Amino acid sequence: MKEVTTGNHAVSYGAMLSRAQVIAAYPITPQTQIVELLSNFCATGKLKAKFLKVESEHSVMAASIGASLAGARAFTATSGQGLALMHEMIHWAANGRLPIVMADVNRSMAPGWSIWTDQNDSLSQRDTGWIQLYCESSQEVTDSIIQGFKIAEKVYLPVMVILDAFVLSHTSEVIDLPDIKLVDKYLPPFKARDMMDMKNPRAFGGLVTPDFNFELKYKIQEAMNQTIPVAKWADREFKRILGRSYGIIEAYKCEKADTILVTSGTITSTSRYVINQLHAQGKKNVGILKIRMFRPFPAKEVVAVLSKAKKVAVIDRNIGYGVGGIFCQEVKAAFGNEKKHPEFFNFITGIGGRDVTPKDIQGIIDYTETHKKPKEDIIWVGLRK
Amino acid sequence: MQSKIKVIPTTLKVKDLPPTAISMSNMLFNKTGSWRNYKPVYDEKLPPCNATCPSGEKIQGYLYLVKNNKFAEAWQLIKQDNPLPAVCGRVCFHPCEVECNRNDYDESVGIHNVERLIGDYGLRHNLRVKIGIKKKQQIAIIGGGPAGISAAYHLARMGYKPTIFEAERQLGGMLQYGIPSYRLPKNILQKEINSIIKMGVKVKTGMRVGKNLFIEELAKKYHAVLIATGAYKERNLDIPGEEARGVIGALDFLHEANLPRRQAGSGKKPTISKDVVIIGGGNAAMDAARSALRMGAHPKVIYRRTRNEMPAIPDEIRDTEEEKIDFIFLAAPVKVITKNNKTVALECIRMKLGSADSSGRRKPIPVKGSNFRIKTGTIIKAIGESPETSFIPASLLKDNLVCTDKWGMTAQNNIFAAGDAVTGPKTVVEAIGAGKRSAQAIDKYVRTGKVTHTEIPEVKPVRFEQLNTAYFEHAPRVSMPHLEFKQRVKSTKEVYLGYKPNEAITESDRCFSCGVCNFCDNCWVFCPDMAVIKKKNKYEFNYDYCKGCGICASECPHNVISLVEEKK
Amino acid sequence: MRNEIPLEENLNSGHLACPGCGGSLSMRLALKALGRKTYLVLTACCWSIIDGPFPYSAVKIPLMHTAFETAGSAASGIRAALDILGKKDITVMAWAGDGGTFDIGIQALSGAAERNEDFIYSCYDNEAYMNTGIQRSSGTPWGAWTTTTPESKGEQKKKIMEIMAAHRIPYAATLSPAYPEDFIRKYKKAKSIKGTKFMHILSPCPPGWKTSSEQSMKLSRMAVESGVFPLYEIENGTKYTLNNPTADFKIKPINEYISMQGRFRHLNKEQIKFMQENVTSEWQRLLRKLKYA
Ligand SMILES: Cc1cc2nc3c(=O)[nH]c(=O)nc-3n(C[C@H](O)[C@H](O)[C@H](O)COP(=O)(O)OP(=O)(O)OC[C@H]3O[C@@H](n4cnc5c(N)ncnc54)[C@H](O)[C@@H]3O)c2cc1C
Ligand SMILES: Cc1ncc(C[n+]2csc(CCOP(=O)(O)OP(=O)(O)O)c2C)c(N)n1
Ligand code: SF4
Ligand SMILES: [Mg+2]
Repeated sequence: MKEVTTGNHAVSYGAMLSRAQVIAAYPITPQTQIVELLSNFCATGKLKAKFLKVESEHSVMAASIGASLAGARAFTATSGQGLALMHEMIHWAANGRLPIVMADVNRSMAPGWSIWTDQNDSLSQRDTGWIQLYCESSQEVTDSIIQGFKIAEKVYLPVMVILDAFVLSHTSEVIDLPDIKLVDKYLPPFKARDMMDMKNPRAFGGLVTPDFNFELKYKIQEAMNQTIPVAKWADREFKRILGRSYGIIEAYKCEKADTILVTSGTITSTSRYVINQLHAQGKKNVGILKIRMFRPFPAKEVVAVLSKAKKVAVIDRNIGYGVGGIFCQEVKAAFGNEKKHPEFFNFITGIGGRDVTPKDIQGIIDYTETHKKPKEDIIWVGLRK
Repeated sequence: MQSKIKVIPTTLKVKDLPPTAISMSNMLFNKTGSWRNYKPVYDEKLPPCNATCPSGEKIQGYLYLVKNNKFAEAWQLIKQDNPLPAVCGRVCFHPCEVECNRNDYDESVGIHNVERLIGDYGLRHNLRVKIGIKKKQQIAIIGGGPAGISAAYHLARMGYKPTIFEAERQLGGMLQYGIPSYRLPKNILQKEINSIIKMGVKVKTGMRVGKNLFIEELAKKYHAVLIATGAYKERNLDIPGEEARGVIGALDFLHEANLPRRQAGSGKKPTISKDVVIIGGGNAAMDAARSALRMGAHPKVIYRRTRNEMPAIPDEIRDTEEEKIDFIFLAAPVKVITKNNKTVALECIRMKLGSADSSGRRKPIPVKGSNFRIKTGTIIKAIGESPETSFIPASLLKDNLVCTDKWGMTAQNNIFAAGDAVTGPKTVVEAIGAGKRSAQAIDKYVRTGKVTHTEIPEVKPVRFEQLNTAYFEHAPRVSMPHLEFKQRVKSTKEVYLGYKPNEAITESDRCFSCGVCNFCDNCWVFCPDMAVIKKKNKYEFNYDYCKGCGICASECPHNVISLVEEKK
Repeated sequence: MRNEIPLEENLNSGHLACPGCGGSLSMRLALKALGRKTYLVLTACCWSIIDGPFPYSAVKIPLMHTAFETAGSAASGIRAALDILGKKDITVMAWAGDGGTFDIGIQALSGAAERNEDFIYSCYDNEAYMNTGIQRSSGTPWGAWTTTTPESKGEQKKKIMEIMAAHRIPYAATLSPAYPEDFIRKYKKAKSIKGTKFMHILSPCPPGWKTSSEQSMKLSRMAVESGVFPLYEIENGTKYTLNNPTADFKIKPINEYISMQGRFRHLNKEQIKFMQENVTSEWQRLLRKLKYA
């Protein structure tokens, strides 16, 4: 069924189709529409879930953890400040190995107040043990929520599905709303691990001495390692049952590329537009590597694509202050032990919700092609100097 | 997973660990007992009532049983020590109540009244005590008062068939012929005595030893002999006119007054004048006065000292006062005024109190020239008794009392003695206690040829300060129903009517259970470590886990738990 | 015999509470009343240690350790899950210290209470952050020594019961382990009521109060009898019922209670008098509420 929907509503649909059972949420622009539509679904009975209108994001995550632990499929959504407030519980969810799925609508961190997009909020959570999926379209958002549960419930790690504020969250597109029967086939009901079985009661999350903590933390990394094949499998299954797939990364028109743009989120869509035009003009030496899964970071896959290129332009809508773009750091790190690597160009753009236009992308391509090496560690795109 | 000890090795490999910190076992492996510096122990102590009872009754024990509506069990328990609970429940001077810790809280527990109910319950339900394996040794008991009866009873319980030689026609001693029936109805006494006789006690009444039968003889014929002949020889006034008609001894008076009409020697009640005067301040004096009142007289009691020094038991003094009997304190007789050898008046002299004498009481000193006369036709002497010892070999006597060791053995191995004959005039319960002890000694003696003297270490009873009174509620003592003055004067009916069972239960529930566990559950309920195990009839500490916090000891209302230092 | 105390034990021996810990006894009693079908939520506090380290647990029921400030929210989540899964017969009990309740957790608690979430919230109040080594909380009484009030605490204890009453939750009660029957009755009552139930338990802490372990119940009792910690219930935030064992609405002087505790040792006569005046006036306030309820 086709539906005109915003990125935010695409989140709500994804949660509804996944038959989330407990939704705890707290409103924050630009996430509010997600919550509004979900509460409407619950009120009208479209979704049989407990909707907890808790009093803060910290409580959102605490409640989601409780719900997930007690055996319910738990979903929530937040943004920027809300995500930051959750931080303590973000760790709890991952260390507790709870398959919660959360949408984060990227929002620049205050002060000063901003409601517009950049990725610093979600990337601040990159080391918490959450799986992160960055989306470029409403369709991908809906599908990623559903896939998110599939992956999370397999590896017992929480999944964050990330979309850009406004550019995606508030932009209407036509999407193909999956048939819920097919989703049910893809995503059977959640069966919590028997850890909170009343007959064999156990304690969750108690004091862990150095005797055991090392091993337990190792297990999270082990689960992250598993996540890459599991996510690929989940994507294949999605294709089989629901007819679409995304991959954990996507190499777009890279076959003959010697310059590859590395993108995430909606910048990918904008870049596709520019690349499509270039290819139509016969200029086929530029391609795109879309990073959909940022955590775990698919280093092997990334290297496989990029090692064919001479130059790699990483476009970051975020900044690791004092270092540079975070995606760029990760891409470079992926090449750490490789003998040969392409020349890396780190472009930072779109921070705080500044529009990233096809012109900006073209500028990035031009800069990359005209320079043998980057002149600066960080190339700021669109900065008024 | 919850009740078994299971230790998870810290060497577990990654693959054997759960995905996150989810418990795999319980904490039982962690024996917190090793933290302990002090160790609680159940350490029952002596309740002061038990400690004080001359017959060694387990008072707290039967109060507990009564509280739980177990009257038959209570009777059995009391009967382990006291053959005459219905009697003692009426006439005992109950020192237990004086020592009762509840005195320091509100009022002592009405032990005496509960005892009476238990005794009556046993009689009403014809309860029996168990008798031990039959023993063949023959034992003679001279005198069937409380001391003799007690010894006979305890011996019978052990399986002996002792013989009581009693001078009078009835057993009971002072209970029978001294204590009036408004205090101790004869049928109650009789029933209690009968139940003892039924246990296999042989009784020979009308046999006065020293007349046709002699101690030495008995001592040869029997394996052991017990002298329990009491103290009934009345002291004389030693004043002019004492021999006149109208001057009588209290015991004689009470003896006559106590006999049912058909049994009385003279065939009728003793005659006394309406203005009868009783001299003395002891039980006999009170009983004589109150008996006289019931015969229609207006008795006066003359006593040398003041009310405080009166030797009669306090209950009796109170009852006598309630019956509005006149007391003339600080007065002593000096002369009986007679006319035709008939008493017409008593001349007295006023006294004042000097310094304390050997009994600890202040000595009365005559006030010169203070003589006065009281008009009277009858004077009852009640100034004390002493044992009649003429029939007892002098070698067994000292200061006109039969001399024994603690266990009642006299200078002659197989002759024992107990009761007032040994102590001089004392009390029923002391006689009973002495009877019990001598029975135990006789048993040992006839079986082994000697009485081993195991020193019983002095145990200090639990005192009020050692209790945790937070768990006790204030409650008034259940009052004892009794006849009003008007009803008392008209008849010899028993003055006190006795508790009803529910009253006894309520009263027993007031017992603090000093030093004895009464299963209040405090130790169990307040243990933060589940280290007190509640069993059917006891609690046990689980020292594997007891951390020695001591809450159980301080919350035990009864001071049953002691903390002892842990040696490490 | 204390026949009203269930024999069932849902806490195992071997737990790590200090000897004489009022909090461990309180848990034992609460779990006796609630039974096995109880889901326990524990925030950071002494109890997160008492229950034992991974891979062990002392309670015989499912237990979720959660962050310090999340008793109200985590319990809400569990309740929601159990409800949606049709497990309505399971009682959820959140358990937190005074710090976790009066201070850092008050937001989540208030939120849950406002939503009238169906669970029991128990605050065992040992009047300081004990787990971290005796720092003051807003539950610490005026005058008490703690490591962060090295002189003496200068502020009054927060009136948490009034705060909870202001939420108009169906049930709130004060409890003392020294009165186990009352304690059990209140937990059973709380279990039978739908909505948020708040249980405020005063829990003596020998190391934190500088008292000897065997005195814990005596202290509990004296707190109640002196009106320092009266026992009462509030229904729907307005109907007050007094359960204090003190006769004729009389309270005993606080002196013995105070003098038994090292944390008050530095107080002089004047200061104790000031405390007494406070206790008396709070007690009278409570009595007025009873009257007007
Ligand atoms: C009037 C009065 C009231 C009392 N009231 C109380 C009271 O309320 N409470 C209390 O505790 N105490 C009371 N007493 C004291 C108490 O009665 C005695 O202490 C107690 O009876 C002593 O018991 P016993 O067995 O030693 O002697 P007794 O009771 O005197 O018994 C001795 C028995 O031996 C018999 N006997 C004596 N000589 C011979 C012999 N040669 N051959 C055979 N038999 C002989 C006697 O006939 C008698 O039956 C009272 C005493 C009197 C006199
Ligand atoms: C967010 C956060 N801040 C601080 C702490 C450290 N912390 C753990 S327990 C505790 C004190 C708990 O006090 P209280 O709730 O009164 O419980 P108690 O230890 O006294 O039983 C503190 C400060 C923490 N665990 N989490
Ligand atoms: S520090 Fe206090 S509250 Fe904590 S376990 Fe010890 S006694 Fe209990
Ligand atoms: Mg605390």
